[in-house]
Amino acid sequence: MAHLCLFSLLVLSLVLETQALTPTHHLTTTDVARLQAVLSQPFTDLKSAYYSVVGLSKLGIFVADADETCRFIKSNLDPSSVESLFYAAEASQALSGCEIPVSNDTRDLLLATVSEDSTASQIHQSVSALSALGLPLASQEVVIALKARISKEDNVLAIILALQTASRLSQQAELGDILEEIEDLAARLDDLGGVYLQFEEGLEATALFVSAAYALSDHVDMETPLKEDQVIQLVNSIFSKKSWDSLSEAFSVASAAASLSNNRFHVPVIVSAQGPAAVSHSQPFLQLQVTDVLCQPLSSASVLVESASAVSSKSAILSQAPFTLRDGVFELNFMASQPASGYYQFSVAVAGDSRFVANHVELKVKVSTRVAINNMDLSVVDKDQSIGPKTTRVEYPTKAKASFMADSHQNFAMTFQLADETTGVELTPHQTFVRLHNQKTGQEVVFVAEPDSKNLYKFELDTAERKTEFDSISGTYALYLMVGDATLENPILWNVADVVLKFLDEEAPAAIQAKTLYAPKPEIQHLFREPEKKPPTVVSNTFTALVLSPFLLLLILWFKLGANMSNFTLSPSTILFHLGHAAMLGLMYVYWTHLNMFQTLKYLAIIGSLTFLAGNRMLAQKAVKRLDGK
Amino acid sequence: MSNSVFSVISRFVEEYRSSTPNKLKMIDAYLLYILLTGVFQFLYCLLVGTFPFNSFLSGFISCVGSFILAVCLRIQINPQNKRDFLTVSPERAFADFLFAHTVLHLVVVNFVG
Repeated sequence: MAHLCLFSLLVLSLVLETQALTPTHHLTTTDVARLQAVLSQPFTDLKSAYYSVVGLSKLGIFVADADETCRFIKSNLDPSSVESLFYAAEASQALSGCEIPVSNDTRDLLLATVSEDSTASQIHQSVSALSALGLPLASQEVVIALKARISKEDNVLAIILALQTASRLSQQAELGDILEEIEDLAARLDDLGGVYLQFEEGLEATALFVSAAYALSDHVDMETPLKEDQVIQLVNSIFSKKSWDSLSEAFSVASAAASLSNNRFHVPVIVSAQGPAAVSHSQPFLQLQVTDVLCQPLSSASVLVESASAVSSKSAILSQAPFTLRDGVFELNFMASQPASGYYQFSVAVAGDSRFVANHVELKVKVSTRVAINNMDLSVVDKDQSIGPKTTRVEYPTKAKASFMADSHQNFAMTFQLADETTGVELTPHQTFVRLHNQKTGQEVVFVAEPDSKNLYKFELDTAERKTEFDSISGTYALYLMVGDATLENPILWNVADVVLKFLDEEAPAAIQAKTLYAPKPEIQHLFREPEKKPPTVVSNTFTALVLSPFLLLLILWFKLGANMSNFTLSPSTILFHLGHAAMLGLMYVYWTHLNMFQTLKYLAIIGSLTFLAGNRMLAQKAVKRLDGK
Repeated sequence: MSNSVFSVISRFVEEYRSSTPNKLKMIDAYLLYILLTGVFQFLYCLLVGTFPFNSFLSGFISCVGSFILAVCLRIQINPQNKRDFLTVSPERAFADFLFAHTVLHLVVVNFVG
């Protein structure tokens, strides 16, 4: 979710103005202190000693007890293991005055490891150990071995180790191919929402990549093939995690931070406001901290406001105003430009070094002010306006001496103005509420006071109209004015006066039920649909008989007309037909009482086809007879 | 005025009695039966109420449908109409009548509930 918000904000900002990315995550001083603490933990073995000592040296801190550490390293060293030699050599190089004794066997072991058959990790460890111990090595052989390993192993960590190894070799060696690996590796980074760029192998791999890439670029003095936006995304990824799972992770973050704050090509700049980015008359300076990724202040930088404009009116207040550096903090007296209260969009640029990355920052600065209430007039106006209104003026923060009476024939009215205390400019804060509080019953009703076109606030209480809000409870109400806004330093809650309201048709002591929102509500009895009233059975039976009676009439008529069964032939088709037909009618009855449509259709199909065949035969015979008879 | 109406009616009845074949008279009797059944159902509905409405509808539609089918049968059987129904023999008409009735009864019984 946060990624999505960031991404959409980023897209919006890219659409509106083509800006470069700025880091959304960086280490604060507490984070750096925490990193140091993690790296300063007492070490148990040679590997953790290496991480601690070398990690702290990258942060610019040196181990307190160098001799003790040196002895520890020497005692834990296993001269037959390349890895052990690597840790010991690197750690001792970071300590001053610590020398590891090297025998010929050790040297031969290290040199023998430099071949195509060792893994990239082993080559890295042996080359680093050789260079840390000051032993000579053949750079070209290393390059050949590295290239072979890269093509064989082809995983991210192996290539990173190859880059790191190459930065230890002589500058005369052909490091061009290995340098190209930086770009290929950068292509394998995953872009998360345009904000983060990291390897799927995780944070450690990303951090190690950054330190290796810059180490190699600095070594050959060729610009790192990473774009500025990529650098910032890498900063976001590496410094988004503020507590580290393992010593190796902390070490990788420390080395990445060290290389990003001190390399020849890219130095990401972190600009953050000290405290909230807000100014007011009591605090007129906008203070910014401009640091590198290790929270070290960039004293060579010069910070400049390129433009500052009000968010609401988009009018420009400042242009090309410089910050002054004081005690490591850059500050600007914004109140000197006399801005009106509200929010301002600042565009800040940090210059001074061509290596700076993300040195254009957008900031939102709030200017707060104090509000003063002027000309608070309270009056009780008769509805038919026969009696002129008596206006009482009340000064903040006193309360009106007499209470005001208003019944259904009168309106209570209040007018006031809100202005900036220092400049006298009229203000329209977000919240201007009038609260009436019944002291006896504890009931309160809140209204909104609205400004008119001249910024004069008006509030009118029509007693008759508003009686539902008050539940028609008469009595003394304390009137409060509440004024608040994000840009106000002194929000106001002022008991202005007491108002006695009289309502008509008040219910005789209606007990105030505390609004029991959370008590069980009365049970709803579900009323099932009552079946319709049936007519009495007598009526139904009568009409049933009536409806069936025409059948009798039919039989009588037919008899009279001379219907007979003289032509009834006893051929099998006739009998079958009549049986089938009777069966179909019987099926209809059974359908009505027992079956559903599907079963009926099934039986109907069987009986119907039989009847059809029989009937067809029978009618054919009849037709023949008729035609013969003619 | 009523005299002329009465004379027209009596003439009509006389004509009907003499010239209509027996078969058609039988069908006319059947038609009368159906008509009366429908009328009585409608009368019940007017007097007592429409509950249950689906039963009333199915019964009434049964009467209406049967009436229509019987009228069709009568038309097709009538020898005077022979020229209009050259392909339809009386047996065929009767068979159609039976089939249509089967479908009608299926629907009616489904709806009567």
